[in-house]
Amino acid sequence: MVRKTIEEITKALQGAEVAEVPYGEKGYHIGVSIDTTNLVHAAELFDRKGFYLEDLLCVDYVDYLELVYFFNTYQTLCRVKVSLKLEPDNAIAPTISHIYTIAHWYEREIHEFFGVFFEGHPHLTYLFLHDGIEFYPLRKNKVPVSDEAKRLLNSFRPEEEEDTFSVNLGPQHPSTHGVLRVVLKMDGEYIVQADPVLGYLHRMQEKMGENRTYNQFLPNPARIDYPGALLLNLAHVAAVEKLCGIEVPERAQYIRTITCELNRIASHLLWLGAFPADLGALTPFLYAFDDREHILDILEAITGSRLTYCYFRFGGLYNDVDDTFVEGTKRFIKRMRERLVMYEKFITKNVIFINRVTGIGILKPEVARKYGCTGPTIRGSGIPYDIRKVEPYAAYNRIDFRIPKGETGDCMDRYLVRIAEMEICLNIIEQAIENLPSGPYKTDKVPKKLKPPQGDIFHAVESSRGEAGVYIVSDGSDVPYRMRWRVPSYSNLMTFPYLSQGLLIADAIAVLGSYDIVVPEIDR
Amino acid sequence: MERLTDIITLVGAETVRAIAGLIGVLIIVVINAILLTWAERKVAGHMQRRIGPKEVGPYGLIQPFADTIKLLGKELLVPKDVAKPLYHLAPILIFIPVLVSFIVIPFDTHLQVKDITMGILVILAFSSLSVFSILIAGWGSQNKYSLIGAVRSVAQNIAYEIPLLLSLLAIVFMTNSFSLKTIVEAQKGTWFVFYQPIAFLIFFIAGVAETNRTPFDLPEAESELVAGFHTEYSGMRFALFFLAEYTNIFIVSAIATTFFLGGYSGPVLPGIIWFFLKTYALVFVILWFRWTFPRVRFDQLLNFSWKILIPLSFINLLVTGGILKL
Repeated sequence: MVRKTIEEITKALQGAEVAEVPYGEKGYHIGVSIDTTNLVHAAELFDRKGFYLEDLLCVDYVDYLELVYFFNTYQTLCRVKVSLKLEPDNAIAPTISHIYTIAHWYEREIHEFFGVFFEGHPHLTYLFLHDGIEFYPLRKNKVPVSDEAKRLLNSFRPEEEEDTFSVNLGPQHPSTHGVLRVVLKMDGEYIVQADPVLGYLHRMQEKMGENRTYNQFLPNPARIDYPGALLLNLAHVAAVEKLCGIEVPERAQYIRTITCELNRIASHLLWLGAFPADLGALTPFLYAFDDREHILDILEAITGSRLTYCYFRFGGLYNDVDDTFVEGTKRFIKRMRERLVMYEKFITKNVIFINRVTGIGILKPEVARKYGCTGPTIRGSGIPYDIRKVEPYAAYNRIDFRIPKGETGDCMDRYLVRIAEMEICLNIIEQAIENLPSGPYKTDKVPKKLKPPQGDIFHAVESSRGEAGVYIVSDGSDVPYRMRWRVPSYSNLMTFPYLSQGLLIADAIAVLGSYDIVVPEIDR
Repeated sequence: MERLTDIITLVGAETVRAIAGLIGVLIIVVINAILLTWAERKVAGHMQRRIGPKEVGPYGLIQPFADTIKLLGKELLVPKDVAKPLYHLAPILIFIPVLVSFIVIPFDTHLQVKDITMGILVILAFSSLSVFSILIAGWGSQNKYSLIGAVRSVAQNIAYEIPLLLSLLAIVFMTNSFSLKTIVEAQKGTWFVFYQPIAFLIFFIAGVAETNRTPFDLPEAESELVAGFHTEYSGMRFALFFLAEYTNIFIVSAIATTFFLGGYSGPVLPGIIWFFLKTYALVFVILWFRWTFPRVRFDQLLNFSWKILIPLSFINLLVTGGILKL
């Protein structure tokens, strides 16, 4: 796959430097370096080949700006990094938003953070930031925002036409799960157009990554995705380990797998409570929280916290687990299996529930690819893409599990995939506990002050919402030069404007609930 | 005693009866509201694997009073752009149709404010009025969510009024009377629910829809419209809407009891106890619905009424008429 792709890229793109890179060190297979004239061709080529846009980011190297596009496929792992250099004073690149829809938002993000202008983009307005920024926040030097750029950034105004009116769904609304705001243009109860407005929870985690040492950043991933804190904790830790070449003991890998899966169930349970609540059934919420409490108790005993865990360390864990943990987890598995049968009876077979979610918000696989959807959202659309399977980390390659998938890609399929996933998580935990090796739980070889060698790395994990990846550029110091988070809710949520078109407001709420979005993750 | 008789002759027996009735009705409304606020929280608690209120008074029985005091203490916020007369009128207006319905309900053999020969019509006519106050509240609030809620409410009420009326008409066919007392007396042998199970189901479903309770709580759908038509109401004004909702639940259950479950008739215990037992059993079922079902969608709601309930109630009416003619 990698060879073939390299050949194709070399053939199609003139003047492009294509090189195979050691995947084990970089986290991607092919590095392509092109110039701006070739960008659209490259995007078209990858689109034809069935790649999805995994991430789009920018790095400021002071002398030049580097735009980095990550492409990947849903079938076999083949991650391609396409990079192009831009002049820092006059950064202009062509847009690829007409090819990959998700680039729409990525480009807006880069525009407001770095001041890169994307030619042909329909509206480069604020995405996360608000009126009043004076400097581009992620540039290394203080680069002021020009008046012209400010006007462009400010040009977003929801327009009302005859027979339509606009409604602000959020930022304070019972169903937006935090502080998401969606401007809905409505015709009666039907949605004509939906426009997500982000940034109410924006904390600039990426900038924080640039002025903290690797160790100091450890608690932050838990604040990016709070229901799945351990999963993002692992993404960060594993990326740095790969960058420094730290070996992790086998026992630590297994415990990481167990705790991550427990966390995944807890996260899915949170969603299982919230989704029916969006549809008007409030009782499942309390049932799900009852179960979730058991996981929190188990994890609290070993990690010390109940929600924003910071348990993994570079080269291992914070501390070892004991028999109480093993016994408690076994008890939980037994209990949860019975509860899943109950949920099936009470929610999955409820006639009103079935009628509310079946056939609503159908996300076709081809559309989902344009948006770079991952996780249960893409699995619901029938693509069994799971990072745990295609790019195994921790101990997943030593465990036997299947990937559930849906058929039509409606809300019901996304629901069923998550329910099936909880059952599978239990199987994974069971296997991992059975094979839990003895030995050290961390390596002693990790220096106190971690200084990774120069270079970059992309590492992705399967969080409970999809592919969560971190891209780190190291300049050899103890602080990352650039830290970029690729978060699943971002690309999943961006399908909302597409899916909600022409839907009733009640259905739109169901669609929004079926993504299991976490706003702090989107806003970062 | 003599003076009391004097007063009665002076103002007329009817007036005294009316005043006593009004006071009695108000007492029932208040006690019912207190009981239901408590019961709803308790029922919800036990259905959700928790215990509900328990700190204020024994079994949390004083909780409604604490709630009331809290709500009374709240500032009555009036948003800037509301249509003031309508906004202030709506919470009061929502009560009038509810209170009127109490007049004709027979609580016991002699315990009835007034036995009107057109009793059913009074109830149906006034119950359809309550939608006006919801519309006024939604319109006057100058809030898009409120307005959507109000519009939903109107469409919903029109759709569910018809099966409600048709299902009761089947009982009228059987008793040849519009008087609620006559209807109860006719059920001394067998309750009408056994003759008219379909009519009972239709009435109960339509009744739940009329009271805007889950699964038909579209006008105030929390997850969609924040709080629907009463989004902009706070403090005691908000409480009045809730009071009206609880009273409505009681009325629907009471009518269902009167028409289908034999009203106050029953062995051993006095009639009034039977009446309240049956009514609150139905009230419990409505609470049970709320904590079990998700909400239906708007088009599903209307389709269910126009395509299933209304044809079904017409068939039921035809069959009833046919059998009676034979």
